[in-house]
Amino acid sequence: MRPFFDLLKKIIQTGVGKTRFLMAAVGLGIAMLLILIAIQAHTNFSQLLYSSKNQNETADFLVINKTITNAMMGQSAKSIFTPEEIANIKKQPFVQAFGLVTSSQYKVVIQAPGDLHFATDMFFEAVPDSFLDVKNDDWKWTEGDRTIPIILPNDFLNLYNFGFSLSQDLPQISQETVKALPLQVSISNNIVSDQYMGHIVGFSDRISSFLVPASFMSWANGKYGMATATGTSRVIVKTPDPSNPALVKFLDDNGYTTNQDKLKFSKTRMIVQTIVSVVGFFGLILLFFALLVFSMFIQLVIASCKKEIQLLVILGTAPKQLQRYLLKQFVPLYIIIGILSLLLVAGLQYWAAAELAVHQMHVSSLPGIPVFVGILLVLGLVYIVNLATVRKYVNNI
Amino acid sequence: MQIQLNHLMPIPLQDKLRQRSSDIWNQDVTFKPGSFVKIKAPSGTGKTTLIHYLYHIRYDYTGKVQVNGQPWQAYSKNEIALIRQQDLGIIFQDLRLFEQLSARENISLKRVMQPKAFYPPEKIDEMAARLNVTHILEQSGKTLSYGERQRIAIIRALVQPFQWLLMDEPFSHLDEENTQRAAALIADECKARNAGFILTDLDNDQHFNYDVHYHL
Repeated sequence: MRPFFDLLKKIIQTGVGKTRFLMAAVGLGIAMLLILIAIQAHTNFSQLLYSSKNQNETADFLVINKTITNAMMGQSAKSIFTPEEIANIKKQPFVQAFGLVTSSQYKVVIQAPGDLHFATDMFFEAVPDSFLDVKNDDWKWTEGDRTIPIILPNDFLNLYNFGFSLSQDLPQISQETVKALPLQVSISNNIVSDQYMGHIVGFSDRISSFLVPASFMSWANGKYGMATATGTSRVIVKTPDPSNPALVKFLDDNGYTTNQDKLKFSKTRMIVQTIVSVVGFFGLILLFFALLVFSMFIQLVIASCKKEIQLLVILGTAPKQLQRYLLKQFVPLYIIIGILSLLLVAGLQYWAAAELAVHQMHVSSLPGIPVFVGILLVLGLVYIVNLATVRKYVNNI
Repeated sequence: MQIQLNHLMPIPLQDKLRQRSSDIWNQDVTFKPGSFVKIKAPSGTGKTTLIHYLYHIRYDYTGKVQVNGQPWQAYSKNEIALIRQQDLGIIFQDLRLFEQLSARENISLKRVMQPKAFYPPEKIDEMAARLNVTHILEQSGKTLSYGERQRIAIIRALVQPFQWLLMDEPFSHLDEENTQRAAALIADECKARNAGFILTDLDNDQHFNYDVHYHL
């Protein structure tokens, strides 16, 4: 075929409108670059979100409750989750594990020992042990134990140390000291009152509540509980991705609320996703116009050599040969554009990976598989459109 | 390869041709493979038209032109191209060379059109020498005289494989001596392939040992 194509090169001039063709080629390059960057940005973002390298924990825990509105004030029943609502939360795809936060149905008063003169009314809550971020061997309670292990929220100690104690001229207390304090816990209902020892075993960042073991809670609720059992007003869920927009939407739709800080990433993520989508969209538009110009260019070449092509066909040149020759004039350029875009994206990715690594964010320093798939898809599309155009106009001659 | 005509009639010449008898128009004709066929015809009776029908570049006829038992219309464009590369050569009356190519390139085009060339490139020089056109092989097609173009067109037709060669007044621009040389070359090449030809011309001639004569 080679010598024949060399002769065809002299007969079929592909030089007409070469600037237009080159501009379309540049357009194709930019389009390809935008599409690949969008794909790679998406890959990087998921890597940042899900890769084990970037997370200390693979999942996050959210305590969910209903938003208290003015209309609901004074009607505590309205903040309680119904069994249907609980079942609905459980079946959401982003809920990996689900636990109820059980509240105490009795009165609790805590007193510090000795002359600290500290006494406060309190409450207890309990969650299944698997949702706790405090691991301690003392965290257990069996019936008959007079000592109750308690977990305090970290924030509580901070509030005391940096807010209350300074203003009241009281000493600041370390975690160790708090753990060593023997607290007097008195639990009562309207009929009986019992004294227990409280022992702080840890501080939780995850759950802002005063926690006791679930075994103590169910025993105490049975023993001291008022006749009417209150329902659950807080639940805890484990989710692989607290920034999942579906989760945020679910909470909003149902009027639930949780620690907003954990959802903050969701907004960033949506903004990034929007930007990436817009970039990808412009890439696609540009690709469409590049394809259009290529098609018109091919049409122009064929039309300007119509007589020559007609004579070639009369002399016995197969339309197949002409198609192959014409595609050979264009396709290598597309492949070069593809390789150049890939190199550029690889360079950008390498740079981005180095920049992000400084901030302890780890992404792969090479473009991901989706980028290669993207290149193949774009090149495939360009080839198919070219083939169709060449076929159409060659056969029309 | 067998070529058969079934009641072939050119639509534009229909009325004129019905008033006279013809060996070809509106007849059933079978050209026997390997035979040298001469078709003699006065001007205006459709010589070129017939060649174009046989080569399938004009289609305004009634009746059928059958190639290997099938009408031309049954073949796809790619199949037709293959037949023109392998089985059917042609020398047009209007020569049809590419002006942007040199004489040698015009000839080479048909030599290398099929994936496996029938003749090595040296064959072009050999044939050019026989027709006295060696000195113009590198000239552009644009600068050639009609006589030179005609000889290049003849060589172009002879560097490809064929079973039938169609010739439309192939010697119209050549003097007697060059005609003899060209006819001898064509006869040799046909014999080498066991191929036949169909030649149309205005007058009787002795250039070949014709097997069949037809009056158009």
